[in-house]
Amino acid sequence: MNKKISIGGSLACIILALPIFNQIKVVNLVAFFSKIGVNKEMAKNLFTGYHLFNILSFVQNANQGALGIFAMVLFLLAVATLYFNIAFIIRVILKRNGNKGELGLIAAGKLGFFFELITSFATIAFTIFANKKFKITGFVPSVAVYIAIAVSLAGYVYFKVIEKKEREKYKEHGLLKEFKKNWPLFLMLIPTFIYFMINNYLPMFGVYFAFTSFNFRDGLWASPFIGFKNFEFLIKADLFRLTKNTILYNIAFIGIGNAFQILFAILVSRVTLKWFKKTSQTLMFMPYFVSFVILKVIVYNVFEYQYGLINNFVTQSGAEKIDFYNTPSYWPFLITFFYLWKNIGYGMVVYLATIMGIDNEIYEAAKVDGANDFQQIFYITLPHIKPTFIILLLYALGSIMKGQFELFYQLVGNNGVLFNATDIFDTYVYRITTTQPLSIGLGTAAGLYQSIFGFLIIVLVNFLVKRKNPEYALF
Amino acid sequence: MQNKIKQSAANKTLSAFAYVLLTIGSIICVLPFIVIVSGSFTDNATIITKGYSLLPKNFTTAAYQTIFRSPKDIIQAYKMNFYYTGIGTFLGLMMITLTGYVISRKEFKYRNTVSFLIYFTSIFGGGMIPWYLMYANVLNLKGHTLAIWFPALMSPFLVILMRTFIVGAVPDAITESAKIDGAGHFTIFFKIVLPVLKPGLATVGLFLALGYWNDWYRSSMFSTNSSTWQLQFYLYDLLNATTAMKQMASNVSMKTADLPTESVKLAMAVVATGPVLLFYPFVQRYFVSGITVGAVKG
Amino acid sequence: MKKKVLSMFLAASMVATLLSGCGSNTAKTAADQLEAEGVGEIPVAEEQAPEETKEATTLDLSKQVDLVFYVMGDAPKDEEKVEAAINEKLLEKCNATIDMQFSTWTEFQQKYANEITAQSADLIYIANWLNYGQLASSGAFVELDDLLDTVAPTLKETVGENALNMCRVDGKIYAVPNTWAEYVSAGVKYREDLREKYNLPVPNSLENLEAYLMGIKENDPSQGLLTATTEESQGFQTGFDAAWALNFKYNWVTQNGLYYGLAANYDTPSDVYDYWYSDDFVDDMKMLKRWADAGFWSKSALSDTNNSESYANGLCVAEVAGQNPNKQITAIMEFKNGGHDDWKSAYVAYGETNGVIYPGHATQNGTAIVNGCKDPERALLVLETLLCDDEMNALIQYGIKGEHYDVVDGIYHNLADEAGESSTFPYEGFNTWNLRNGETKLPQATDVELQKMFDAYEKLGAKTKFPNVNIFDGFSENFESYSAERAAVSNVMSQYLAPLEAGLVTDVDAAVEEFRSKMKEAGIDKCREEYTKQWKAYCDEYGYN
Repeated sequence: MNKKISIGGSLACIILALPIFNQIKVVNLVAFFSKIGVNKEMAKNLFTGYHLFNILSFVQNANQGALGIFAMVLFLLAVATLYFNIAFIIRVILKRNGNKGELGLIAAGKLGFFFELITSFATIAFTIFANKKFKITGFVPSVAVYIAIAVSLAGYVYFKVIEKKEREKYKEHGLLKEFKKNWPLFLMLIPTFIYFMINNYLPMFGVYFAFTSFNFRDGLWASPFIGFKNFEFLIKADLFRLTKNTILYNIAFIGIGNAFQILFAILVSRVTLKWFKKTSQTLMFMPYFVSFVILKVIVYNVFEYQYGLINNFVTQSGAEKIDFYNTPSYWPFLITFFYLWKNIGYGMVVYLATIMGIDNEIYEAAKVDGANDFQQIFYITLPHIKPTFIILLLYALGSIMKGQFELFYQLVGNNGVLFNATDIFDTYVYRITTTQPLSIGLGTAAGLYQSIFGFLIIVLVNFLVKRKNPEYALF
Repeated sequence: MQNKIKQSAANKTLSAFAYVLLTIGSIICVLPFIVIVSGSFTDNATIITKGYSLLPKNFTTAAYQTIFRSPKDIIQAYKMNFYYTGIGTFLGLMMITLTGYVISRKEFKYRNTVSFLIYFTSIFGGGMIPWYLMYANVLNLKGHTLAIWFPALMSPFLVILMRTFIVGAVPDAITESAKIDGAGHFTIFFKIVLPVLKPGLATVGLFLALGYWNDWYRSSMFSTNSSTWQLQFYLYDLLNATTAMKQMASNVSMKTADLPTESVKLAMAVVATGPVLLFYPFVQRYFVSGITVGAVKG
Repeated sequence: MKKKVLSMFLAASMVATLLSGCGSNTAKTAADQLEAEGVGEIPVAEEQAPEETKEATTLDLSKQVDLVFYVMGDAPKDEEKVEAAINEKLLEKCNATIDMQFSTWTEFQQKYANEITAQSADLIYIANWLNYGQLASSGAFVELDDLLDTVAPTLKETVGENALNMCRVDGKIYAVPNTWAEYVSAGVKYREDLREKYNLPVPNSLENLEAYLMGIKENDPSQGLLTATTEESQGFQTGFDAAWALNFKYNWVTQNGLYYGLAANYDTPSDVYDYWYSDDFVDDMKMLKRWADAGFWSKSALSDTNNSESYANGLCVAEVAGQNPNKQITAIMEFKNGGHDDWKSAYVAYGETNGVIYPGHATQNGTAIVNGCKDPERALLVLETLLCDDEMNALIQYGIKGEHYDVVDGIYHNLADEAGESSTFPYEGFNTWNLRNGETKLPQATDVELQKMFDAYEKLGAKTKFPNVNIFDGFSENFESYSAERAAVSNVMSQYLAPLEAGLVTDVDAAVEEFRSKMKEAGIDKCREEYTKQWKAYCDEYGYN
């Protein structure tokens, strides 16, 4: 593979995708604008040519919500193209190959050109779609698009040719061969594919709603595009406090929670009396079944100021009553306690199952060598649990901005005094969306924020873990 | 068999520590549950005026009588719950295990991509409305029982968990030797992986089943007829009906005798949870120690 | 050779791109381009040919239409039976059937919104507490102006211009209200027997309410007094239910004043003044603190949500928030059912003291046709039938005569109730409060008492400046331009106003200061500016000046 050519090609793609050139030209201004209802005032905010990064501004300023989702797809494709091409160039410069010759680089290069190709075709499709919709030729793809097609096609073909040669050298194979070799695996994945498509990936298009101002007249897919306006309420929302609360609680839950679950799982596995083992396990599992709705009732009865159980004890022993519901500082501990209470039995199961999978012979050997119980736990049990723990930890990190909504909402309710210490992102968003019930945009925007936050964290952590020990990584 | 090796002092303290800690933990965990059961057997007025306690102050089975007075509805809800849990757990477990198997195969070129794609769905989502529209409008499943059990068949967490179990339970050496003997993937899956996967199957199956048993949300969203309601929704809705009716400004039905009281709410919680407590110990049997896979050394 | 060709090709394409790119790089604004072309104004596109005004024609009833009627709450046990009976007759009259679908009371707000978004219902129950105004202005419902004239003139006549006008949003009619006027005023529900026993004043003013509660406390210190929580205070007026008692003091246009701490009196609705930043507010908060210190409600009241049965079980002696006459009637029944025959419940409306009383707004209960309905004409015809046709109305409201109910002396009797069983089709079993017909509505035994209260209120209402007109409930707020500030304001209310009104602060003046400054930070001024503008426009439109 000739480095100069490939870097040159990629660079071309990057430059073509950058917001310097206008991929879409607006023509027939007068006829077009009159058809879609744009007047001279509005025209001040419109341009005669757009690139893929600001085509959304056209959608917003010309009030053509129907083009919104297509424009957003174009935007995402443009970003992807830039990302993959830049990643490729960096890899070439840093010479990070992987161990199969240059196959890794080639694959990255292919991806870059592939996306450029798709983006260009999508741009053309967009103009056709828009023109059809308005029944007038308003959009025309510019020359840059056609040049991009030519360059990326050439690059893609070039790489394909090189790849074939490399593959012969290293006895690797592509998709078709993999399919023929491992077709049972693909077969096994079919139901899963259907499931995730229906349940998760197709509905994911709904992320677009975070950027619209929904009204029933225009419907879901044609409501006006308003950019980031929906996220404004997040900024006004004391975002720092909410983020801090959510993250701190989650860290406490994950850390302390897993610690206790591991501790209790080990203890249960060590206990020899069978009936005790089974009973204690079952009993500790029971809190999982107490729904928060019922728990709230009991908790209120326990902590209430005048007649609550705790205050009854306290007054009987002569001390002063404790005002739980007006003192925020108690609640981080109380909430953590109730979270642990509800989830220890449940989480313990995973660790218990892992411990049960440890070969008994190892323990026997250790005993013969004179190891006592503590040492056995330290040197055998804990290391075996490590992979499970790391995977659970990684998984939980991805949801670090999402909280245990039911737990907080039911225990704290609408008690504003406690909000500083107990308000997490989910409860805040819930309260807001109940005062503005038609706000699909607000809710989706909040969800998007949580997702992106968690995603960035998990990508970072997974990357670090992968470098240390690839077996432990999530993906 | 009793181990004849003398237990050192360290072991004895560990044992004692274990028993004590577990006892404390069990008591804390079960206490509120006792309060709930006792409340369900207490006269409603007593609960409201005197609060909750560990033992029923005014024993009565009135709450349960109210629930079972028109048993037809609750029995239907039970039936549906068993149906959903059964079919959901069975299909879901199958799909999850197969997927876990696939992504645990080191020779599968795309396993990292597939893992990532599955995991990605747990971070990003379009929100509730597109999901609802998918089932209600696009697939036209509103009111159909499929819409109630299909969405919960799999979850990224369980897939990853299953993969961990498979990787831990079946060492590569065994699958390698099987492949050399000419076994295809299906053979490996059914003859080698499944038999040693009992703890994994039990765990994931338990989580799936519990998720199905306790769910009420999908009934709330998709049911159009009370005959397809899940058990928890039947109970939760009864609770909400009371609250809503007391807040409604309109002239609603005056039959307050039919509206659930505090004790009835607690009784409903017991009735809903009861069966599950029986099948958890049943599943515990499968948390057995690992089969000695030590047949292959080195 | 290959390499050379490739590099040349690459270089050439880059040059070409740069050239063409430079050309299109100077993207002018479209306006500039238009200037350059010498274009003046952009002609507006031709509108579609306007629809011919329709005459009142007979509809084409040849195709059977199946409609979905979405209502709130739970289905009665005999849903299928009664539905079949209705559809039998409906097929004859309109060649249509209806399928009643229920939201249940779980997550009903969300499901209601889903139903409209998914456009899966045809006829749907609407109410101002279900955001009728916002939904209508957002295009969720079909415009009914023309349809009423062409398809359902009888309906239009029965309901009346006035009521229909109250359902106008942005000038168009989107819903058909029911025709039974009820009073849903706010007031205080209290234990009359205790008042008599301890010879205390009737709690019909702030001073008397305080005296009443203190009196009971002196005589019976362990008796719980008020059950006040945050349940009725979820909006933008109050943060804690005890503040509702302030309605004795003010003659605001609606209970608890306008939103965002503004207020206007009933006599001068468009004259808006500031409440939260006034001295009256500080005095009121000090009074509430005095009440809290006296122990009128629990210190943990902000987290209490278990209060629904406290009055019926004697845990409190009065309730001040969200108590309309219906709740009073319910309380009387609850006392009887609970075996407390010696307990008496009495009710005094805030309007009796402050002089402001009015019936429920037309949008309290109404019906609309969802946008996206395939046959809105037929849907409207069915609605007309169900509301105006006596036989159909009785069927859908009460069930099958002789099986579910009977009429004795003009009073409705539910047969199953009287037999002591749980009824299979209770009064208004389909929760179709939107189909009440004021002329033919059958009173229940308890309705007699209720009607007496309504008659008294009607007389009171006739004396107000806008006799028996509900000014506030017809107003719908468009908060799109300040939704972020609105959200922040709501949060400040929960965090700072609620504890103030619950008297849980140590220094009222300092707490008021903090509350006020936090409000400014949250953007209350922007909310108020917009809101006042919209409110004044609304008042002008309807002549409430």
